[in-house]
Amino acid sequence: MNLRRTLSLVTIPLLAIVLALIVGAVVIIASSPLVSGHLDLVLPLRAYAALVSGAFGTVNGLIQTIVSASPLILAGLAVSIGFKAGLFNIGAQGQFLVGAVAAAAVGAGLAHAPAPVAIGVSILAALVAGAVYGFIPGFLKAFTGAHEVVTTIMLNYIAIQFVAYLITGPLRATGATFARSPSVGAAELPVLIGRNGHLGILFALVAVPIAWWLLYRTTIGFEVRTVGANPDAARYAGMSPRWIVIATMTVCGLLAGLAGAGEILGITGYMPAGYSTNVGFDGITVALLGRANPIGILFGGLLLGAMRAGSNLMQIQAGVPVQMIDVLQGVILFFLAAELVVRYVFRVRAARAQVTELQTVSRSYGQQTTP
Amino acid sequence: MRKQRFGLLASLSVAALILGACQGTGPGTGSGSQGPTSDLKIGLVTDVGTLDDKNFNQFSWEGAKQGAQAIGAPEPQSVVTTASADYAKNIQSFVDQDYDIIVTVGFALGNDTTKAAKANPNIKFIGVDQGLCVTESGDPDPDFGCKGDAAKLLPNYQGLVFKEQQPGYLAGIVAASISKSGHIAAIGGTKVVPAVANYIAGYANGAMSVNPDIKVEQQFVSEAPDNAAFNDPAGGKAFAEQLLAQNPDVDVLFQVAGKTGNGVLQAACDANIHAIGVDVDQHESTPESAKCIVTSAEKKLTKAVSDAIKRVADGSDKGGTVPLDITTDSIGLAPFYDAQSLITPDIQSKIDAAIKGLKDGSIDPCSPTACV
Repeated sequence: MNLRRTLSLVTIPLLAIVLALIVGAVVIIASSPLVSGHLDLVLPLRAYAALVSGAFGTVNGLIQTIVSASPLILAGLAVSIGFKAGLFNIGAQGQFLVGAVAAAAVGAGLAHAPAPVAIGVSILAALVAGAVYGFIPGFLKAFTGAHEVVTTIMLNYIAIQFVAYLITGPLRATGATFARSPSVGAAELPVLIGRNGHLGILFALVAVPIAWWLLYRTTIGFEVRTVGANPDAARYAGMSPRWIVIATMTVCGLLAGLAGAGEILGITGYMPAGYSTNVGFDGITVALLGRANPIGILFGGLLLGAMRAGSNLMQIQAGVPVQMIDVLQGVILFFLAAELVVRYVFRVRAARAQVTELQTVSRSYGQQTTP
Repeated sequence: MRKQRFGLLASLSVAALILGACQGTGPGTGSGSQGPTSDLKIGLVTDVGTLDDKNFNQFSWEGAKQGAQAIGAPEPQSVVTTASADYAKNIQSFVDQDYDIIVTVGFALGNDTTKAAKANPNIKFIGVDQGLCVTESGDPDPDFGCKGDAAKLLPNYQGLVFKEQQPGYLAGIVAASISKSGHIAAIGGTKVVPAVANYIAGYANGAMSVNPDIKVEQQFVSEAPDNAAFNDPAGGKAFAEQLLAQNPDVDVLFQVAGKTGNGVLQAACDANIHAIGVDVDQHESTPESAKCIVTSAEKKLTKAVSDAIKRVADGSDKGGTVPLDITTDSIGLAPFYDAQSLITPDIQSKIDAAIKGLKDGSIDPCSPTACV
């Protein structure tokens, strides 16, 4: 990939971030009377300074950034590999949840087993659960033409209810005063670095080069990208778009499931019935920020992870609520989706015509691309 | 800016205190700094949700602010949790900023608060609605045997819990007094959760104390503490409608079923009968049903948190599970608002007598129906 092309790829995400920070500053100033008691023009600077120092100012902050980024990177990959095959996987959230609950269930069962066995089997369970949950919409798309956007959204709801059923029913820890699964005990991921840099961060950091190699250096990756660009041409060239779609969605689910395992085994150590997360949906933002490129996703995930890690200090030191992060993230997503607006504002010319992840998003309901 | 201003205020206040000690009268620094002063930094970590949820987060936050004001500490700071995986991270961010008191809201944070309390013995933790259950080494007990003595192992961690039977008893008195038919009801999420069983036992006993012949319908939505029991407003509404169809003369309905119970309140409104809320002031937390809510059997979170902070400030705090009851006004009835007209002086005197009896121990809210 030459420099020029790289530059044209990162321009829009960077400009979207800049615009979001500007819009965020306006929002912070507008609401500053609630924080400072008067219209405070420097509050955005103090808020952003605290945000940055919270995320990067200390070793622990830096590790927290990576810990927060890890599930986002995996979920971002789960969405972006779908983009490459022309699929819009909105189901990373559901795939994350079934992966998480599988890890919680198997981990609880192996709580007293030797740690390597408990960890290995729990993660395997999460991979399988996520993969199965990705396989379903892939299969439906390939053999019935059911659109993956519709099926994955519906599967997200099923996953939420399924997890609630399991944790309040068969998986409920006896003796606990509220509905939660038993502790995972031996399956808890060891801390490798700092006070909470658990093994799960390695999953994300290893998944990035593997995903890149698979997509750009293997035959199957070429086939995935060809199907995404033009299923008809792919079929004409002797590929089987059906199987590619199924395989892609399965891998997407597997990655999201792995993210779920990392969060349960690495952070909470059990799963409550009301497990609240947004990792799967944030993965869509990460995928768009990273232009569906694994290297880009690494940075997109780190950016969102840094915002999550630094937001507490922003609230403690500057008094700006952590929900400001959701505002920033929403505005970033808006400008990424409204690429034309960004191009107009900054007078950036469009790159040469090619199938992009954005087209996959925007054509989701228009042209049907049944393989 | 804000932090600096309070820092200045605090140092001025300290100066005032020293001057006051020397001269006998304090010069005063303007904005209410004449009381005691303290430089304790107080942080609060919410459960997933918002700070203004008119529920546990908000009332605990009010308590933190009141407590800070009472001891003359700088205004507390909050971190709002947005995902379950962030509890530990959010508690840690206050630890890193050298906060002295960290309040965590809701049972879901109990596990991570326990770990933080063990790791940071010099920081005081206050857990709202958190009964402590630790192993002999002071870690969260994965098997819930609770063999460790939390008060000894974690003297820096107050887990605030509430005696639900007492507000239940008061709610029962109100219900029996305003009922015209002599037939009232309570709907619980599930009887296997002690808090639910105790609220309802107190309710039945309170009602009988006013009218020994009263019929108290007690029904439970679910066998287990599951989604249907506490998280299903639509199911709660249907359940209550069925109960009211079978018992058309029931005219007061007490809900002890979390969000499922919000559906129960709606059913009561639809049937044009009186409802009694639970845990927090539901006239405020569920405004859509406010018109039929007479009162709520309330955990006074604001008072409870504020008191816990004061105990830390004056050094009288003890660790472990801290059961709160009516003697400290940590539980009670929420205001009647529009329903005040229902509460005749006669009813009010019955309520006052019961509060007195509960306080001095002459009334047992767990008799004749036993608590668990």
